[in-house]
Amino acid sequence: MPNLAAPLDGVKVLDFSQGTSGGISTKLMAVMGADVIKVEPPGSGDISRAQGPFPNDVPHPEKSGQFLYLNMNKRGVTLSLEHPDGRAAARRLVEWADIVVANFLPGQLDTWGLGYEAIEAINPGAILVSIAPFGQSGPYRDFRGNEIIQQALGGLIYVTGEPDREPLRIGGEPSEYFAGFSAFSGALVALTYREAGGTGQHVDVSAHEGVAVAQMYSALSYIFTGEERGRHAASPLYRVADGQVGVILRQQDWAAACEMIGRPELEHDERFTDMAARRVNQEALTTIIDEWMRDKKKDDVYHDAQERGMAWGYIADTKDLMESPQYQHRDYFTEIDHPVAGRLTYPGMPLRWGDSNWELRPAPLLGQHNAEVYSSLLEWTPDDLVRMDAAGVI
Amino acid sequence: MALALEGIRILDPSQVWAGPTCTKILGDLGADVIKIESARRMDIARGDVRPMPNGMGIYPENEPGPDPWNRDGKYADRNRSKRSICLDLTHPRGVDAFKRIAANCDVVIENFRQGVMGRFGLAYEDLRKVRPDIIMVTLGSQGGSGPEAAYGSFGITLEQTAGVASITGYLGGDPSTSGVLFPDPLVAVVSVGLVLAAIRQRRETGEGVYIDLSQREMTTSILGDMVMDYTMNGRSRTPIGNRHLVFAPQGVYQCRGSDMWIAISVETDHDWIALAQTISHPELAADPRYATAAGRREHHDDLDALITTWTSTRDAFIAMSILQAANVPAGVIENGEQLVKDPQLVSRGFWEYSGPTPAETLPYLSRPFKFSKTPGFTRSPAPPLGAQTDEVLREVAGMSDAEIAELSELGVTEDDPLRFS
Repeated sequence: MPNLAAPLDGVKVLDFSQGTSGGISTKLMAVMGADVIKVEPPGSGDISRAQGPFPNDVPHPEKSGQFLYLNMNKRGVTLSLEHPDGRAAARRLVEWADIVVANFLPGQLDTWGLGYEAIEAINPGAILVSIAPFGQSGPYRDFRGNEIIQQALGGLIYVTGEPDREPLRIGGEPSEYFAGFSAFSGALVALTYREAGGTGQHVDVSAHEGVAVAQMYSALSYIFTGEERGRHAASPLYRVADGQVGVILRQQDWAAACEMIGRPELEHDERFTDMAARRVNQEALTTIIDEWMRDKKKDDVYHDAQERGMAWGYIADTKDLMESPQYQHRDYFTEIDHPVAGRLTYPGMPLRWGDSNWELRPAPLLGQHNAEVYSSLLEWTPDDLVRMDAAGVI
Repeated sequence: MALALEGIRILDPSQVWAGPTCTKILGDLGADVIKIESARRMDIARGDVRPMPNGMGIYPENEPGPDPWNRDGKYADRNRSKRSICLDLTHPRGVDAFKRIAANCDVVIENFRQGVMGRFGLAYEDLRKVRPDIIMVTLGSQGGSGPEAAYGSFGITLEQTAGVASITGYLGGDPSTSGVLFPDPLVAVVSVGLVLAAIRQRRETGEGVYIDLSQREMTTSILGDMVMDYTMNGRSRTPIGNRHLVFAPQGVYQCRGSDMWIAISVETDHDWIALAQTISHPELAADPRYATAAGRREHHDDLDALITTWTSTRDAFIAMSILQAANVPAGVIENGEQLVKDPQLVSRGFWEYSGPTPAETLPYLSRPFKFSKTPGFTRSPAPPLGAQTDEVLREVAGMSDAEIAELSELGVTEDDPLRFS
């Protein structure tokens, strides 16, 4: 028997969430050993199922790369909260749960009779984690939000990009993932309190506030100095023969950098001896480094600089990541077999837990665990299942 | 008001951003966080001991003051709700004191380069000897194993090496990094839950654990769809500027005033009709070329020009109100001042104030979650270097006044960085 890590063994999670933020939060819980029941609307299922990527770009609800990645290790059921019988079933699942996660529009759960007060009345120990673009209160509560809107209002975009061009968002869905990580940690804070003798409570996660936490320097600069940070690269990128390399020159790096580019005499060149001098003579320095870089390879520069103690980087695209000896050594990417999507390589867990291994299992098919979950937790008979299916409840 | 994490004690030699932000949040929520540095090797977020004019430091009113290492905004923001102690870990008595403190802590969180804690004699195995069920978390750059295990990084490095930069950049342009060093706060916030999961496991099983986290891998883990596109289709994605792979139009549009912009994102055909009507082009809503997202993506440049015509004469905040009232996703590109005054953030009490001195009465970032019964708050301002050294040695390490005086005489608890610079 392999030694499996399951720090959240025994934790019961009822997951009404859709998409990225909720999906990643309960996936972390599921891989860490929690029993996560993912509840999807009958028919279409989670919105991620309709988003790509798909193999050969052909949409299929069981082959969405985003859905498969975000929903590993969960059990999946379908349940319509639009239907009174669906809401009755949901209330009984709330009795079972330690943690309930949802990212409906603020107020939606209340209209279904499943808001925090209702949940607390059913199960005082239950923790409700609500994720929303702007949280559950405030003047923007009902604003439409999504990735770019959250990055905009949270201060990420203003400081990214070139000073003389339009500001730029970060690629991917960083604010959605940040909200998901916040929901994961918020749930664990509330669980810690409850398991130490406290009660359940409502955890209110705002993606907007997550971005405002992440931007830090833009607000700090204004608060402390009255000046805007504006858009400037935090460290310069240089073009090499096969890509780009990121250079960081702290004071303690200077001698090593001169040595590395074969110009040891520059170490004591008064144009560059300290940070202030290098800033004044940035253009000359850039030219020197640029000339040296042009015919180099990104891997070579990255390893050479790192071996000399300099925290330089290189722009890694997806192929570079898949081929990274570091990632391969740590088995970061993991093959998982899925009954419909087949064997695919996924990003694995980004941390090691003692000497144990994580057990990674494929995402559920739509409604895969209906019979198992509803018969064991709600004591539905096979007839009940047929009836609920016919009525569109599941 | 109840504190969720009361009774949990954290020993925190972590530095810079990710580690200190994680422990700040734990401290705000009730944990007793003991930040450990030495006057010789302070947290670099404290900035220079003798800062040069126009250096990297961020000081209240641009005034470094006599103790700039206690006044830098980066330090002040990330180290609230903690106690600060100084121990020279290159001295055997410093190591001994560390262990005696650790014996009464639940968790040690560190982010030194691989091998540094081991060279101090403070690796997980060493700490288990003084507290068998201790939990140790290393927020490593690359994780503790593999050919690049000893490599260092900052957030800006990780954006590059983890893949975020490969899909960040102007449409058709080079990949680029962000202006915010996103990986650090990302790692900080998820680590809060990881620490608590380890504490839960210890309560259930009686056993501690060593957690080896790779910040690079954690950063790649937010790129699930990007990686899956490669494994499914062999495609390495490239920057698409402010656009979206599906939603269209989506972009950042110029508004009235200097460097004022608004983000607009059309998710559905219904959103498109609402946008077309709002920007006074109802005929576009009926134009078959723009009826589907695919059509709108094909004519994206034309639509951007039409939208800009509408936004460029308007105040960004008014434009946002008009668009949101029409149920179109829109948001102002907020700068630092606008963030501090943001009605939503202000209304929800996002900015926190922590004390009486100038650095402490400024607004600070709080947390990305709110708790109905255990809210958490800035319990104390970031402590001056070594402010609680004696208190912690007495209360937590159980040292006598004579022992504490001896450590001071030996220079092990020296807390004046001016003596080393």
